[in-house]
Amino acid sequence: MRPALVFSLLLCLLLALDGALFVDGLSRRKAEDATLAQLEVATSALGLSDLAVATEARYTRHPAVSDPMAPFMDHPGAIEHFPTGAFWLPPQH
Amino acid sequence: MLIELSGVSKIYNQGRANEVRALTDIDLGVEQGSMVCLKGPSGSGKSTLLAIIGCIFPPTSGKAAIADRQLARLPDRFLTLHRRETIGFIFQRFNVLPELTVLDNITLPLLPLGVPPKERKLRAQELLKRFGISHRAQFPAGQISGGELQRVAIARALINNQPIILADEPTAHLDTTLSREFMEIMQQLKAAGKTIIIASHDPLVFEHPAIDRTVTVKDGRIHVP
Amino acid sequence: MAQTNLEKQLNILDYALSSLWRRRMKSLSVLLVFASVIFLLASFQMVTQALSDKAKQVLAYTPEITLQKMSAGRQEAIPLAYKDKLAGIFGIRRVVPRIWGYYFDEVLLANYTVMGMNVDEMPESARLDTALASGRMPTPDEQGRVVIGHSVKKALDLEGRNTFSFFRPNLSLKAFTVSGEFSQGTDILTNDLIIMNLADARDLYAIPAGMVTDLCVYVANPKEIDTIARKISEALPGVRVLTRPQIQKTYQVVFGWRSGFGSICLLTALAAFVILAWDKASGLSPEERREIAILKVLGWETSDILAVRFWESVIVSGLACVVGMTAAYIHVVYFAASLFRPVLMGWSVLRPDLHLLPRMAAGDILLILAFTVIPYLAATVIPAWRSATVPADSALGG
Repeated sequence: MRPALVFSLLLCLLLALDGALFVDGLSRRKAEDATLAQLEVATSALGLSDLAVATEARYTRHPAVSDPMAPFMDHPGAIEHFPTGAFWLPPQH
Repeated sequence: MLIELSGVSKIYNQGRANEVRALTDIDLGVEQGSMVCLKGPSGSGKSTLLAIIGCIFPPTSGKAAIADRQLARLPDRFLTLHRRETIGFIFQRFNVLPELTVLDNITLPLLPLGVPPKERKLRAQELLKRFGISHRAQFPAGQISGGELQRVAIARALINNQPIILADEPTAHLDTTLSREFMEIMQQLKAAGKTIIIASHDPLVFEHPAIDRTVTVKDGRIHVP
Repeated sequence: MAQTNLEKQLNILDYALSSLWRRRMKSLSVLLVFASVIFLLASFQMVTQALSDKAKQVLAYTPEITLQKMSAGRQEAIPLAYKDKLAGIFGIRRVVPRIWGYYFDEVLLANYTVMGMNVDEMPESARLDTALASGRMPTPDEQGRVVIGHSVKKALDLEGRNTFSFFRPNLSLKAFTVSGEFSQGTDILTNDLIIMNLADARDLYAIPAGMVTDLCVYVANPKEIDTIARKISEALPGVRVLTRPQIQKTYQVVFGWRSGFGSICLLTALAAFVILAWDKASGLSPEERREIAILKVLGWETSDILAVRFWESVIVSGLACVVGMTAAYIHVVYFAASLFRPVLMGWSVLRPDLHLLPRMAAGDILLILAFTVIPYLAATVIPAWRSATVPADSALGG
C-alpha cells in the first residue's frame, strides 16, 4: 500500500472520529436545549445577572453588577490578586 | 553523433572577482553506442565537462548538442526535463540515500515523471533481478555491501531506460575486483546499445578493452598528446 | 497529461510521507508540540465561546434595569423609599426590591450567594418550580425556608437532613429548612445560590427595615430601556443604573476572544513554536544539501523539491491541527475543560459541573487554522527556497 493511501486512511479515521463527535454533539445539543428552558426561567424569575462559575471574589462571581471599584478596594493600582481576575475582566461600562 | 560539443567554454561566476575558467574551447563528439573515458587529474575540468554533457548546466559559450537537442541557453527547467529522459548518472561513492530502501533509491528518478507505484516496482525488480540483488530490495541502502551498492547505482541510472550513461569516478572507492566487475557491467551495457562516458583516472578503466576512446582533459582543454 | 500530473503529485506526496517517516522521532515530536499548542489555543477559544454563548442566551432574561446605591465608591443598601421616587417615571411596569449578598462559610471557606426576594413579583415566577430538581419555592409567608443550589447542598452536607444554620452579624444563629433544590442542569447559574424570603434575608444580614440591596426595574416596552434608565439616573443621581444591554455587554467583554490574557500567552507560545520551526527549516544540513543535489541530478525540478517540503509542512501542520482541535473538543465537552478549571474558577471552593458545548462554526475553525497552520507553512516553506540554491553538480565529485 502506498504511503499516500495509508495517510489518507489515517486522515479518514480522524475525520470519522470527528464525525462521531459531531453526531454526539447534536444529541448533546438537544439535551442542552432542554436545560436552556430551565435556565431561562431561573434567570427571569430570580433576576439573575451572572454565571456562577468563579465564586472566589465578588467581581468574578458577579462581574456585571459588582461595583467597578470592587477589584481595587484596597489600592487602586493593586496588582490582580485572584487567579480568575485574569480571565474575568472587570466590567467596562 | 549523439553528443556533439564544439567550442564549448565554461566560466563559473562570470564577471565577478571569483571568476573561474573551467573549460576552454572544447570540441568533442561521441557516437551512439560507444564508450569514452575522460581522463585527467582532479581539477582538470572533467567533472564540469561531464556536467555539461549531463545537462546539469549549459555551457557559457559554444555549442552543445546532446541527443539532437541544443543545450546552449536552454532554461534550467528544460535542461532538467531533457536530462531525465536522456541521461543516467552514476556518481562517485554512488550517492544513494542511505535511509531509503534499495527499491526506493532505484525508483527515485521515476517519481517526478508520474510513474505509478506498481510500474515503478515492476521496473525496479526487473533491474534488480538483472543485477542479481533482488533479495536486497527492501534493505536500507546504507546497510548493503559496496558491490551491491554499485549495482544499485547502475540500476538507478538505467531505470528510465536512458540512452546515455555518465559515470563520475565510479571506481575511485572500489577495490580491484569490484572495479573490474563494474567495467564488465559497463561492457554489457555498451553491447546493449548504451552510450557510456566515464570520467576517471583509474588505469583499470581507461585501459579496459571495451573503451573505444580516451580523452585527456587538462587545465580545461582537451589534451592531444 | 492530467493523469500523469496527479500521479506525479501523489508520488511526491509519497516521498514526503516516507521522508517524514524516516525521521519519525523528529516529525512526531514536532507534530506533538504543534498539536498541543493548537490544543491549548482551541480549548481556550472553545471554553470562552461556550461560556459567552451561554451567557448570551441566558442573560437575555436578566432584569431590564437594576438599581444600586453607590456611596464612597462602594455599593450600599438602597432605601425602599426610592421606589416612590420612580413612580413618576412613565413606562415602568414594576419595581421589585431584593436583598442579596454573600455569606462566607468560615469552616469550608466557601462563598454562598444569598438572595432574598418575593419571587411572586418576578416575571415567570409561576414556572420557577420547573427549574427545581425537587421541592418547591417557599411562599412569602413561610419563614426560614430556602431553595439551594447543587454545590451548596454538597458543601453543607445536606444529604439526609434538610436544616442548617447561618450566623447573623451578631453571631446568633438563624436556622433554615431546605424546601427545594435547583436541578443540576441549572448549575451554571444556581450552583452557589441560596434563595429565601426578603424578610429572612433582612434578618440574616441585619439590614434595617426600609432598606434593600438593589431594585429590579421592569419596563413596559424593552425599546425604552435606555430612555427610562436615563430618566432614573436623572431622578436619583446617587444611584448606579445597570441596564440589560450593559450586563450582556459585560459578558461579551469578559469572554471576548481578544480580551483573554490566556489567548495572548498561547499566541506567544505559538509564535515561539513558529520561530523554532523557521529556525529549523531555514538552515540546510549537509545531509539535506546532499539529498537535494542528488534529486536534482536525477531529474527532479526545483519545484518538485519545494513540493516535497510543502507537503511535509502541510501534513505536519494539518495533522497537528486536526488532532489538536479534536483533542480540544474532547477536552472541553467530555472533560469539562478540566485543564482550565484552575484559571476559570481560581480559588473558588464551590465549583459547578460545567457542561460546555461549544458551537464550532466554520469561522472558528478557519480562525484557528489562520493562526496556526498558515504561520507554520510560511515559516517552513519560505526558507525552503534555499534548496533552489543548491547546485545540482555538487552531487558530482572532484
